[in-house]
Amino acid sequence: MGMINQLPKVLDPIPGGKMVVNAVDYLVNWARSNSLWPLVYGTSCCAIEMMATGAAKHDIARFGAEVFRASPRQADVIILAGTLTEKMSKHLEVLYDQMPEPKYVVAMGACTISGGPFYYDNYSVIKGADRIIPVDVFIPGCPPRPEALLYGIMELQKLIRGESIRNPRKPGEVESEPWVNRHQEAVAEWEKEQEAVEEEIAPQRAQWKEDNPDFKAFKHPKKPVEDLEKMEYVPREKRVGAEPFALWNIVHEKFPEVTLHGIEEVTEEALAEKGAEYIPDFVVGTEQYSAFVRFLREHADTDCDYIIQVTAVDFVDRYDVCVHLMSTTKKHKIFVRCSIDHDDPKIDTISHIYLGANWHEREVYDFFGITFNNHPDMRRIFLFDEFDAHPLRKDFDDPSRLTKRPY
Amino acid sequence: MDLVSAQVPAGFPETHPNELTEEFYLNMGPQHPATHGVLRLVVKLDGETVKGVVPHLGYIHRSIEKMAESETYVQNIHLTDRLDYLSCHMNNLCLCMAVEKGANIGVPERGEYIRIMICELQRLQSHLLWWATFGMDLGALTAFLYGFDQREQITDIFEDVCGARLTMNYFRPGGSYCDVPDTFIPRVKAVLEGMEKSLDEYADLVGGNMIIQERCQGIGVLTKEKAISYGCSGPVARAAGVDYDVRRDDPYGIYDRFDFDVPLGKNGDCYDRYTVRIEEMRQSMRILEQCIKEMPSEGPYRSKIKTVIKIPEGHSYANVETARGLFGTYIVSDNKPKPYRLKYRSPNFSNVNIIDEVAKGFKVADLVTVLATLDPVIPDIDR
Repeated sequence: MGMINQLPKVLDPIPGGKMVVNAVDYLVNWARSNSLWPLVYGTSCCAIEMMATGAAKHDIARFGAEVFRASPRQADVIILAGTLTEKMSKHLEVLYDQMPEPKYVVAMGACTISGGPFYYDNYSVIKGADRIIPVDVFIPGCPPRPEALLYGIMELQKLIRGESIRNPRKPGEVESEPWVNRHQEAVAEWEKEQEAVEEEIAPQRAQWKEDNPDFKAFKHPKKPVEDLEKMEYVPREKRVGAEPFALWNIVHEKFPEVTLHGIEEVTEEALAEKGAEYIPDFVVGTEQYSAFVRFLREHADTDCDYIIQVTAVDFVDRYDVCVHLMSTTKKHKIFVRCSIDHDDPKIDTISHIYLGANWHEREVYDFFGITFNNHPDMRRIFLFDEFDAHPLRKDFDDPSRLTKRPY
Repeated sequence: MDLVSAQVPAGFPETHPNELTEEFYLNMGPQHPATHGVLRLVVKLDGETVKGVVPHLGYIHRSIEKMAESETYVQNIHLTDRLDYLSCHMNNLCLCMAVEKGANIGVPERGEYIRIMICELQRLQSHLLWWATFGMDLGALTAFLYGFDQREQITDIFEDVCGARLTMNYFRPGGSYCDVPDTFIPRVKAVLEGMEKSLDEYADLVGGNMIIQERCQGIGVLTKEKAISYGCSGPVARAAGVDYDVRRDDPYGIYDRFDFDVPLGKNGDCYDRYTVRIEEMRQSMRILEQCIKEMPSEGPYRSKIKTVIKIPEGHSYANVETARGLFGTYIVSDNKPKPYRLKYRSPNFSNVNIIDEVAKGFKVADLVTVLATLDPVIPDIDR
């Protein structure tokens, strides 16, 4: 486009030259606006609506934007479909830099406008994509309908048609303000506005009250009350898998120190009272933990071959590591719980017993900072290495990232 | 990471260089059309042969579990939509079931039928989308257009029922937030009729294609033992021969009333995962047909619940079978309106874990096939 940009300098002084420049402008803009090639960039839910827009019913090809390119070097427009997180933002910058000029950005969905549903109490989401790259068109919605995306594309086309060789497009500004909680400001502003409105309409209101002295007798029509009943939860009658008391007997024989969570004295009646949906929740000490899980897996009657999840709960004075196991052959579930010290959280790994526990334990390490001894690959799994806290701990507070919900 | 690096990236064991060939590391993602979102894979290659894969997660980690602790149970439902947005009704249902168990809330008969029907429609919709993108990942664009065309009809039903196309937020503890409209049953019938006609054709269009068969059969083999040990679930595990379906083996709602089969694979390769999903669509249609016959046409759709739901101190666990496998919700409560800790067990998290085992020894192009048949939804992994 280098030569075309020189056109006004050469042609404008010539009689009739301006018309030529305008015609070239028109032609270039027509071509550009009707062949917007988007980059295949979708991080989450909005991507599905973007795909739906590209499919048969909505057909983005009507606007010349159906050629989704996998490489940023071939793309004109990047549709930011989905939430932008701190970890992804560096990559988005690279993608944006790799796109050739002229390049346009369409922010699709509430997440890319302000963080959307992930604004409050969230430590990882960037609150607005315009903090990272300049955005041309914002499309609200969570997710926006395909029609809204099409409208956004049309708005972008309008924007492009307004460009000219004489005053080329300047990309939007990148928001650089710190993350502030605008809720209180907005509420105060709205209240102020309301006061002004009240003052303005006060005489009319008084006049209306004078004209209608019996206004207090007016009653709003009542909302139709739905005929709904309160219902009690009906647990399943037939138990799936082994009886908890039988499991307890097997376990108690080998590990006499193991107890059941929430039950002081274990009897057959006490367990039968819990119903058919009760899942035995064994409490085990840190020393026995690994051996206990191995026992549950290898014993023929417990036969817990499947790992549902490993997770932890921060009880402020201690951490509880919870392991949820299941048997794919006998179909019962067993929960194992192990309390560990809050100041020096360490526990043995079970990733050699269940291969799948590897990632679950990494997740627990990432969120709670609980170290698993002898784990083969103890790295953070979701967050980046520079993130210097463990976010699911109850005392986690990071004002630079976290905006507390004001209500 | 550099594109070709001499340094061993994180997650790989130290390697012993081979005299004959040179191994190198290739970065795939987080921006890659075949990874269905923002999954990043670091692949160790020897020529074109995959020697190892290390997935890097967290590019769409949205701290949903932290947010959950500062929102009430009903407010939390909309966040489950955004985990696995292709089976959001099932995610909603799972949270609602855990709350119902904890807070002692019952569901009326009609409400149960609505739930099952909506969930099975969602499974159909999700598998249709998978079928569409599976074709596209392997270079067959026709499937994309066909699949989305059929999917739109189901999306229209959801729009009719709850007003949303993708993030529904429809179920509540005790039922759903509104009754289904009169048009619901006729529309479901119409969709089923259309599906019955076209599903065989669809299955043949992609599955009967020789190129697709060559690229899928014997590729990405997952053994039963590995599938169980890694905690795989859903079609991925069933294709490997793990005979477990939450709907049948731990029936929730009224699933024990319906007659359906759980399709199993024999070899655990990509083609089995394909056929299992296609067969699951047929079974979903069977359940839907039974629902239409048995659903009571009148009655309450929801039970009356308190405005503020509190769960007594303790924990509550529920699991459902989403389109991708076993989804679980674990609530730890302290008798307050907000959960003390809320943990979601996502099926994709465990399903993607196996990628190293499955893709090892095959070519780079097969890695795309494997990913397409694992059908991961990345926000569900990262949460």
